[in-house]
Amino acid sequence: MFDNLKKFFTPAESLDSDQTKAFLGEHEEGTFTLLDVRQPGEYEQEHIPGAKLIPITHLPESLDELDPEKPVVVY
Amino acid sequence: MLTARGFKHVYNVKGGIQAWQGAVAEGPVELNLDMVRGDETPQEIIKIGYGMEQTLADFYRTVIAGTSDEQLNTLLGRLASIEDKHKKYLLELYNSIEAFPVDQEAFESDTTTTVLEGGFNLHDFMKKNEKYLHSAPSLLELSMMLEAQALDLYLRFADKMENEETKGALYKIGNEEKAHLEALGRLRESMGS
Repeated sequence: MFDNLKKFFTPAESLDSDQTKAFLGEHEEGTFTLLDVRQPGEYEQEHIPGAKLIPITHLPESLDELDPEKPVVVY
Repeated sequence: MLTARGFKHVYNVKGGIQAWQGAVAEGPVELNLDMVRGDETPQEIIKIGYGMEQTLADFYRTVIAGTSDEQLNTLLGRLASIEDKHKKYLLELYNSIEAFPVDQEAFESDTTTTVLEGGFNLHDFMKKNEKYLHSAPSLLELSMMLEAQALDLYLRFADKMENEETKGALYKIGNEEKAHLEALGRLRESMGS
């Protein structure tokens, strides 16, 4: 079920680690959303600094917390 | 789902956190969020940031006083001076929005704290991390960890703020922290660690 859900949320474009670093470095804070869709325990263990946690299972009802005009980098 | 719901640009981090090779922060979303109420003005939040920068600069200078290792001393001096530059930026940011600009001395008398960047208590932090303070590579790792936690904390503060201008000030501070973290990464590469 989780895999099916994950596939449902899969975005169009992928960035590898270097491309993600470049994206985060080139864009000013507040102009994009860095989204962590894992579970709280995983976020607590380690996360990319500044990531906003919305577990994938809560994403549908939490979309209004995000600005659709801003690029979203999700992991 | 995101694109179907009107999100225009969505990027997936290939391989997720396991493939990520940059800095990481740890701790729950709520970590040290009790340092702020959520209704702070930009000026109030800048003072909180300045106090943490000041404490970190003092921390580096305290460690300098206790070592005779030349490489470590040079690194500590650099780290302390980076914090001083960051303090200068925060004071300029404060004065750019404050009707009654203040000088550094007056500002510092109003921003005293024992909390380090990232929200760590200075004394607890020194006690827990004493073993990392005796070599340049391990100190640099510790410093990068502090900066990653600081960036994370400022952006979680921003998420909690009600005032858009306060959020904006925190994003600017976040940009500074991000640049600082990148500079430390380059320093680590130049040291070959």
